[in-house]
Amino acid sequence: MKPVLEIKNLTKTFVTEGKSDFTAVDHVSFQLYPGETLGIVGESGSGKSTLARIISRLIDATEGSVFLDGQDVTEIKGKKLRTYYKDIQMVFQSPVTSFDPRRSLGDGIGESLRNQGLSKKEAKKEALCLLQQCGLSSEFYERYPHEVSGGQCQRAAVARALAVKPQIVICDEATSALDVTVQQQMIELLRELKKERNLAYLFICHNLALVQMFCDRVLVMKDGKIVEEGTPDEVIMYPKDEYTKMLVKSVL
Amino acid sequence: MSVENRVPSVRKQKIKKNHTKTRLIIFLILALALLLVAIFAQQLCPYDPNAQDTAMSLRPPSAAHPAGTDRFGRDMFSRILVGLQTSVLATLSLVVIITVIGTAVGVLCGYYGGIWDSVIMRISDVCLAFPGLVFALAIAALLNGGLHNAVLALAVISWPKYARIARSQTLAQKSVNYIAAAKLAGNNSIQVIVKHILPNCIGPILVTAMLDIGTMLMELAGLSFLGLGAQPPVAELGNMMSGGRSMLQTYPWVIIGPGIAIFIIVVIFNLLGDTVRDYLDPRNSRK
Repeated sequence: MKPVLEIKNLTKTFVTEGKSDFTAVDHVSFQLYPGETLGIVGESGSGKSTLARIISRLIDATEGSVFLDGQDVTEIKGKKLRTYYKDIQMVFQSPVTSFDPRRSLGDGIGESLRNQGLSKKEAKKEALCLLQQCGLSSEFYERYPHEVSGGQCQRAAVARALAVKPQIVICDEATSALDVTVQQQMIELLRELKKERNLAYLFICHNLALVQMFCDRVLVMKDGKIVEEGTPDEVIMYPKDEYTKMLVKSVL
Repeated sequence: MSVENRVPSVRKQKIKKNHTKTRLIIFLILALALLLVAIFAQQLCPYDPNAQDTAMSLRPPSAAHPAGTDRFGRDMFSRILVGLQTSVLATLSLVVIITVIGTAVGVLCGYYGGIWDSVIMRISDVCLAFPGLVFALAIAALLNGGLHNAVLALAVISWPKYARIARSQTLAQKSVNYIAAAKLAGNNSIQVIVKHILPNCIGPILVTAMLDIGTMLMELAGLSFLGLGAQPPVAELGNMMSGGRSMLQTYPWVIIGPGIAIFIIVVIFNLLGDTVRDYLDPRNSRK
């Protein structure tokens, strides 16, 4: 099977004047296959989010490349980049700040559709449909981000990510800001949507239990490098790397 | 054993009611009335503001001339109305110009950063470090006076304040995730700025603009007072005061009339600005 997303030798070095350079992501390579859920775990500062931001092209890589369906997307700009965002979407860690405080949730969900040329009416219809799929009633269309709970807002964020029918959804700690029961509901939602739409998830998380439950394959990151790779059971039950052992131990 | 006879104290003071909205409505109506007076000044004048009648010069306020007459026998009340029009409209256009230019420059600098950001911000630093009115005086003198040139001179020195505010607001908003989400929704940079950044940073800018109306009116009147703004015989509050300044002790109405007009305008716009600030304050809006 051909990978839908291929990362080769990706490196990001932050250069700050007067300080030594900091390499957040260090020669990372991996593949993501269609319909797969790939977990990325690691402690804070291990470069997970930076990796997500490079893949979603919010920041530029220093070195290495990202391929989507075999096409190099590492340096695309403008129109091409906006086409790329039809295939890849992201759900952020803090749901409330990922919505414009001055716009309603429905407006945010329909925005990408309107940018693709749908009329306001069509976009609203589609957004209402997406809200329903994500388990929110139509009244949430008019609500503002500060008027809903974190879990509800994150559901709306998932709805927004799915609006353009992407192949890949990056969940950057999408469940970390939610409480445990809501986390469970979110995972259920993501699972259902995956079944319906054959989505590939890049699931960034620091909760090993959640990763074990949800992911097909897991990468362990430390100091910007991938230190271990395998199925969740392999990695969690029989960790090979010292750091992974520590990580597993810290949960138990 | 003595039992203390204590009367349970009841808080007598009423919890302060929030009157912001009422205040806002009152000051908006006042400002609107002022604007209407300014716009329809010509229609409201009882006399031609420029018609001279030397036989009637320097008459104190009376039923026929509610604010007296000036040196050339022109009706002061009519001149104050027309002067108010000149001053208020020039001030408003000035504030609109500097708000629009300052905001545009600030937002673009904040959003794109880079070398242009540094260059423009250093220029604005220079403008802010200079005593504003002195700089404006120099520019106005260079441009040979006139109301348009006075507005231009004040615009040149006043936009950096807005650029600063807009830039810092933009920088604060730029790093919040919803901007990243907006990019992922397929917005190009212009759309991100217009649809997301501007609406989220316009509040403080509007408040500053409101509060600046009074200051700008005074600075404009100041330039006219010094002879660098509106030129006679154009009626403008600043140059009317300037024309009457030698007569403060002998014929005070010539200078007090325009003075009171300036005072009223500045007070109304400042109070409106204050109220708008209170109204937009997030601590005030959550119920």
